Amino acid sequence: MKEYNVVGHSVRRLDAVEKATGTAGFTSDMKLPGMLYAKVLRSPYAHARILSIDTSEAEKLPGVKAVATHKNTPRELFNTSATMTFTVPPMVPVLDQYIFDNVVRYVGDEVAAVAAVTEKIAEAALKLIKVEYELLPAVFDPLEAMTPEAPVIHESHKKNIPGGEVIQIPYGDAEKGFAESDLIIEKTFKVPVQKQAQMETQAAVAQVGLDGKITVWSTTQTPHPTKMILAKIFSVPESKIRVLNPPYIGGGFGVRIGLSAKAEPIAVALSMLAKKPVKIVYTRKEDFIASDTRHAGYVTVKLGAKKDGAFHAMYLKAILNGGAYCSFSCETPGVLGCMGMAVYRIPNQFYYGHSVYTNTTPSGAMRGFGNPQAMYPIESVVDMMAEQLGMDPLELRLKNIMQVGDPWPLPYKCSSTGLAECIAKGARSIGWEKRGKLNKPGAKKLRGIGMGVGTHCSNAWPWCGDYDNAYITVQQDGSIHLATGVPDMGTGTSTSLPQIAAEVMGVGLDKVSITFADSASTPFTIGSHASRTLYAAGTAVVEAARDARKQVLEYAGEFLKVAPERLELKDSVIYVTGQAVGNDCSGSGVCQTGESERKSISLKELAYNAHLRNKQFIGVGRIVPDNAPPWHAHFAEVEVDTELGQIRVIKVAAVHDVGKAVNPMIVEGQIEGGVLMGIGYALSEEIKYDEKGKQLHDSFHKYMLATADDTPEIDVMIVESNDPTGPFGAKGVGETGLVPTAAAIANAVYDATGIRFTEIPLTEERVFRALAENRK
Amino acid sequence: MSSKILKFTLNGEPVEIAVSPEDMLVDVLRDKLELTGTKKGCGKGECGACTIIMDGEAVNSCLVPAMKAMSASVETIEGIGGPGKFHPVQETFMDLGAIQCGFCTPGMIMSSKALLDKTTSPTSQEIKKALAGNICRCTGYVKIEEAVMAAAEKMREKQ
Repeated sequence: MKEYNVVGHSVRRLDAVEKATGTAGFTSDMKLPGMLYAKVLRSPYAHARILSIDTSEAEKLPGVKAVATHKNTPRELFNTSATMTFTVPPMVPVLDQYIFDNVVRYVGDEVAAVAAVTEKIAEAALKLIKVEYELLPAVFDPLEAMTPEAPVIHESHKKNIPGGEVIQIPYGDAEKGFAESDLIIEKTFKVPVQKQAQMETQAAVAQVGLDGKITVWSTTQTPHPTKMILAKIFSVPESKIRVLNPPYIGGGFGVRIGLSAKAEPIAVALSMLAKKPVKIVYTRKEDFIASDTRHAGYVTVKLGAKKDGAFHAMYLKAILNGGAYCSFSCETPGVLGCMGMAVYRIPNQFYYGHSVYTNTTPSGAMRGFGNPQAMYPIESVVDMMAEQLGMDPLELRLKNIMQVGDPWPLPYKCSSTGLAECIAKGARSIGWEKRGKLNKPGAKKLRGIGMGVGTHCSNAWPWCGDYDNAYITVQQDGSIHLATGVPDMGTGTSTSLPQIAAEVMGVGLDKVSITFADSASTPFTIGSHASRTLYAAGTAVVEAARDARKQVLEYAGEFLKVAPERLELKDSVIYVTGQAVGNDCSGSGVCQTGESERKSISLKELAYNAHLRNKQFIGVGRIVPDNAPPWHAHFAEVEVDTELGQIRVIKVAAVHDVGKAVNPMIVEGQIEGGVLMGIGYALSEEIKYDEKGKQLHDSFHKYMLATADDTPEIDVMIVESNDPTGPFGAKGVGETGLVPTAAAIANAVYDATGIRFTEIPLTEERVFRALAENRK
Repeated sequence: MSSKILKFTLNGEPVEIAVSPEDMLVDVLRDKLELTGTKKGCGKGECGACTIIMDGEAVNSCLVPAMKAMSASVETIEGIGGPGKFHPVQETFMDLGAIQCGFCTPGMIMSSKALLDKTTSPTSQEIKKALAGNICRCTGYVKIEEAVMAAAEKMREKQ
């Protein structure tokens, strides 16, 4: 495998010093002169019409500078997610909400907002706003919301299906496939509401200048698309809006692809009214109840196989709870279907899926984006099939997994796969051969081993538009400035992208500086999501660096009077290929007619020489990415306490084909974090609602996140299949850590107990009941 | 709201500041003293992002009424080290990939430092317990635990 100077090395993150000393800038730390603080009045009801709203008392409270409601803010429909800006025709984005409306559709929906000189005054003012509600019937389950008697949540979206968007993906002939199958297994699974629970809550600071320019510092994962959404809402030219991160974000996991819930438009609206900068930071409770969650729902898998274990037909169906407003509710079922259909070679498949409006918190993007909802059910059914066939589930998977060049339902190719290697390595790590032999008869604590596999994408196409741009400017001293619009929400973008730039340019990483996540100083990108940042933005950086390098070498060729093709650029020195740096060519035999004797020049000297001759090297990268499948196999060992119903994960072996790890330490960190989030999805994390639609899990304390004390051994291994389409062979990795985790755990629990759970999370209560039922 | 004068030692320096009796220490640190390295993730003592060290103990500064800090010695992330003189736990967090989004990092580092101030030979279980009140959603805690273990080793070498 090729060795690189910077790429492939676990260098310390470039943001490490700032983050380890507490000096890194976050939105929630910002303070501007004259800045006001905003608080939001939220609906206590799941569905109601606002008959009247009286803000006069609130406005009179000393220190209150503005009160915003549906009466004095733009009546422009939007979608909080970036899908509003890159849905590809003929599809059209669903626009179904205002900043404030005269109907509220879930507990937590925005009714009004106040800007005041302190947070406490703003909070006090909320209590002085008088609202008269007329309660409307509400519905919370997607299946119930589809019935004829269910209340209509948005008048223009009949049957409560957002945009009427039902996704159907036929592939081969599923009906014929099932008729030809020797064995068919069908099962429906229920998946929960999971919350991103990123550490920094939704936040924005807006400043509206008297010149009409708007600056918004916020926690968005997509500064450029967010600028477009705000331009539409406030009818302002996009060129007059600047959206940026300050420059860091306290996590994302999909929760702010587009707006940070409604932090940005609320801050802008209040800033316009108060003519002062306005800051809004959601409380943790607001973040839980009033910002997007993962889609819950029902997923059905019907799998048909031949006697020899060859999968022959699959039917996949997903009905997802979209919540009260459409965020990514049209795209998520699409990704769920596509990813579910792409793991195995199944000649006959059919997918049917859509979201449904209900009176719950809106569902949107969360790490995995539909894929975990597909793979927990599919991998459970694959294990059931193995049992029916009398085959080892590992062997059954190896027999059926997708290979390079295999036909599949996606519009891009299966360009690389290291999945077989992932499976082999994971099996060794977990001790697969111990499976079924772990428990003594009569044991109260039962151990089990299970596995799950999966794939994902490396950018948003074909579900959305996807393109990226980057600039590289060689500074007058030969150092390199990289400008890219993608944020770094913790994933290491601001280190990995400079690594790529340094490698292509032929300079050390210490010579590269990056400006990122700012719509005004970087070219357009659709942002950090869809496991795309390293793959798509990285490809743009490669292109920009190649362009700049080419200009450098052409200029150096003129300077050294050598054909540029004969020149090399390494360690910031340009020299003739094959000749030691610093030597001249006289007597060495490499001199060609007309060449100067000097055979090398530092990039520093060359850049300054060019500067004195009125030239800067500016590389531009403009790319439309291909797409590529990352692959992963997870193996879990669990222990089930049959007296308490408690499940403890002993170990997870997570082996990922990432194409190429540009910074292995960062890649491992992505996978480890994803695995723990996947363990939470499997065992404990869930937002439930009471009968009136109130969220029962609205704080860290109630929402059971794993802590350091709960973390099992996580053995991460990286497989590098060097994808031909990715930068240096890299593929996506940001989301993959939790795609097959719940599947591996559920299969391990079955191995331990013989109980096939069709609903997660596997809470103590749920497991205890099932164990009791099983004993009868 | 009558304000009161709070006197305490902050990162080794004496501080006097007017606070309201209902102010929490985290807000005094972040808003009045502009030490925003201490983060606020929940305001209810459930996430540990606001962890500081008060009289040798790691505490959630969002649960400490500011006046409780009277005469106390308070350490925040800003006071424990920086370029040229990093605390060993800062160094190992940076070198071993224990930092991702960075929002939990100051609190994590303060909880780790409080542990290592008490023992430079912590067991894996002791580290897990010491960090159990600090939520990190990015790392899965794996590299954080490794970093604390490595920092302990560095500190032992120096002793």
